[in-house]
Amino acid sequence: MSGPKLVSILRQGPHLIASIHTALDDTEMERFREDLVEQIGRHRSRGVVIDVAALDVLDSFGARTLRTIGEMARLRGAVTVIVGIQPDVAFAMVSLGMDTGTVATALDLEEGLAFLEGSGARRSGAGRIGAPAARAVPR
Amino acid sequence: MVRRVIAARVADAATVDDLVQETLVRVLAAAGRVEPGMLEPYAIVTARNVVTSQWRERDRHQRNQHRVVDLRPSAAVDEDLLAREERDAVAQALTRLSAQERDLLLAHEVSGRDTRSLAGELGSTAGAVAAQLNRTRARLRVEYLLSVEGVEPPTDRCRPVLLALSGGDRRRQREVDAGRHLLECGSCARLSQPLMERGQPREDEVRVRVESDADIVAARQAARELASRLGFSRTDLTLIATAVSEIARNIVRFAGSGEVLVELLEHPHQGVRVVARDTGPGIADVERALTDGYSTYDGLGLGLPGARRLMDEFAVVSEMGRGTTVTMTKWRTGR
Repeated sequence: MSGPKLVSILRQGPHLIASIHTALDDTEMERFREDLVEQIGRHRSRGVVIDVAALDVLDSFGARTLRTIGEMARLRGAVTVIVGIQPDVAFAMVSLGMDTGTVATALDLEEGLAFLEGSGARRSGAGRIGAPAARAVPR
Repeated sequence: MVRRVIAARVADAATVDDLVQETLVRVLAAAGRVEPGMLEPYAIVTARNVVTSQWRERDRHQRNQHRVVDLRPSAAVDEDLLAREERDAVAQALTRLSAQERDLLLAHEVSGRDTRSLAGELGSTAGAVAAQLNRTRARLRVEYLLSVEGVEPPTDRCRPVLLALSGGDRRRQREVDAGRHLLECGSCARLSQPLMERGQPREDEVRVRVESDADIVAARQAARELASRLGFSRTDLTLIATAVSEIARNIVRFAGSGEVLVELLEHPHQGVRVVARDTGPGIADVERALTDGYSTYDGLGLGLPGARRLMDEFAVVSEMGRGTTVTMTKWRTGR
């Protein structure tokens, strides 16, 4: 990949922190999915934070890909939490009529990590559909 | 007048003809850049320059004649050839105009008559004459292009479309559905390039060719950028960008290629209009495609109905085998 990195995936203890730095097209989004799921296995990660604050839009494809990542991670034994969805992006997602499914969300990176720490104990069930209430808006 | 200037300097009648043509080409090409009253002096200077460069050419030619091989760089030969082709093309294009159009154009561009005096002669107004001149120039450009490219328009829709583009007349372009024609007609798509490049780039519209995933991002970002100039709220900008993303993806997935045109509107309110066109297979049942959950690929089925919810106005026109046009508008509210 040339130029500045589009995404970065950093390891932080048992967790992965994946940050999207710019708008991604569909192909890049899918590559991101592959990379992330692969690294979950390689690092035996138990939790994943995906920071999408830099995404300009989360349209049907973007949202579906994030949901797929969450499901794949869950099947690989990791909890996923999406952080940094901007208010205007959230509004567009709701207006679009997106089925805001099953992945946990948190306001920002800090909250996301706190969520993962908290969910560590009940790890096996954490990623399940309709899961963690509180501030985690299911999507 | 041009002929007089040139004939005074060149003896050979055929050469005079050539050079007059050449001058005419240059003057017409420059007409947009020259102040109206300055055209006559400009034409005279141009005529002199044309003659001088012809002399220089001949000098060089004579200097080189003693050499056995022609050492003139082949580029110069090409240039000669091109210049000649160009002259022929202009001459041919001029013959395609009606006698009245041609006379008016030449009176104005070459003899330097202003629109008011021409209007007096024709019993018309200066504005009407100027408009007529603009139409004639637009036609001349089209005919010139057709001639220089050696293209005979493949359909009878080609000329009206090219004319509308050449004249920069947006209303007319919509009437003849120019955007769709350019997607369908390869030769017009090619010919229209120089027509659209000339003229100042429009500040209030942007056109994005959509063929790949990356173009989806480019289209939505272009839409957001353009719409932001009207002072849309951040939320509205994201709604617009998201809607563009959805319909641009439809183009890539279903049609393979198409375009997204984004334009700013001032009437009846400020707003932004997005027109997405493709030449894909078309949508068999538009009503159904606008229904939630309906999807022919493994998306969420949100493409069209989702985009419709994000915008204020939304229309889909689709013809089987010809393609689909989605037109959607977002008005800027007073918030």
